[in-house]
Amino acid sequence: MSELNDNELLRLMLAGDEEALALLYRRRQGAIYRFALHMSGSRSIAEDVTQEVFLFLMREGHVFDPSKGTVGAFLLGVARNHVLRRLRAEHHLAPLGDDSDDDAPFLEASADMCPLEDLTRAETIESVRKAVLSLPAKYREVVVLCELQDVSYGETAEILGCAIGTIRSRLHRARALLLVKLKPATGVEETSSTTVKSARCFA
Amino acid sequence: MNCQRFESVVSELARGRMMAAEQRDEALAHSDECDDCAGRLRDEEMLTRGLQSLAAEMEPLEAPRAVEAKLLEAFRASRVVTEEKSAFIRVNPRPNSRYWAAAIAAMLLIAISIVVFSWSKRTSDEPRHAVKQEEPQPKPEINNKSNEQLVQDVEKPAVDPLPQRVTPKRVRPVSSRRPDSAQVANHVTKEIATDFIPLSYMSAASLQEGGQIVRVQLPRSALANFGLPVNMDRYNEKVKADVLVGVDGTARAIRFVQ
Repeated sequence: MSELNDNELLRLMLAGDEEALALLYRRRQGAIYRFALHMSGSRSIAEDVTQEVFLFLMREGHVFDPSKGTVGAFLLGVARNHVLRRLRAEHHLAPLGDDSDDDAPFLEASADMCPLEDLTRAETIESVRKAVLSLPAKYREVVVLCELQDVSYGETAEILGCAIGTIRSRLHRARALLLVKLKPATGVEETSSTTVKSARCFA
Repeated sequence: MNCQRFESVVSELARGRMMAAEQRDEALAHSDECDDCAGRLRDEEMLTRGLQSLAAEMEPLEAPRAVEAKLLEAFRASRVVTEEKSAFIRVNPRPNSRYWAAAIAAMLLIAISIVVFSWSKRTSDEPRHAVKQEEPQPKPEINNKSNEQLVQDVEKPAVDPLPQRVTPKRVRPVSSRRPDSAQVANHVTKEIATDFIPLSYMSAASLQEGGQIVRVQLPRSALANFGLPVNMDRYNEKVKADVLVGVDGTARAIRFVQ
């Protein structure tokens, strides 16, 4: 059964095949969980969203239309709706100052680097993570999908329900915002010309 | 390439995305010449590395095993509920089916009411037709008519004054509803006739001897003699009439035919 594609697994699942559900879940849960985690910065929300997405698929999976996109894009679109709903409900935008264990940095150092490099790298990654979390939702979701999850522009457009040109312009704007947030932390020398250019191009 | 053009492609250049080789070479050449654009490219490359590092670090992250277990449990539960529900449906009709049955019964009731109403309307119309059929009808052949019928035909007008008796309401097509109408000649079925109007004050009993109907043509002014309206536009035209002639050769009654 593992050689079946997502569409066939979904069909079998809707017919009551538990194994098909398990296979589809194992194939797609990682991307959904990471997307929700990047978007919310909360493990608990990411878990809830992952569960809700597949519960939705069990109940309403028949609404999926293969002609409109892939099962993966469909699931990410559902996950996006759930995440935004949760964020609106809980006003849980970028829990940067929270010290709870749930929102602790979820990156661990790799073993093959020296401690100093490891620390620097981990700090950089954590800075980038926080910068991504601080973006407005419409820019954050584009960065998460296109940059962190390597989803194509076309598929991102399907997930977000907008044109590819909109995805490109949002990504451009999001990268400019990230640069502004990360420069003080990374100590990159900021030239006056860069500031002028950013103000001119991204305003 | 100028700085503005470089700005539009620097993100793609730093991300290593596919782009035209010529455009890429031009952008790199421009960054070699322009310090500002070279710094811009360095910033974008730094950001790209940071995002790639974050993505690589996050790649192994997955939802906890407990989520899968909960989902499978929910799936089994929903399947059991579905099976129980379908079994319940097989044993017991759905509650909604009662409403469907009531709706179907109501529709049947309405349909039956319409049929009964139309039937009763038809039957209430039939006595009127029957009354009309009892009235003297023009017959093409006097030989088919008994003497008693002829007596009735002539006696009825004798009871009422003629002008009131012969009204346009009574003028109607020769009955096409009668079963023997198909056997009547074609010209008869297309004719409209008045009732027979007696021509004298003779006793109706004298008609028992029998008689004969003779088709004649009269001036249209003759209608006025019997109290019938005359169309002055067609005053010069002839009008057809059937004259009932008794066995003694005298005319007993007349009816006008159109």
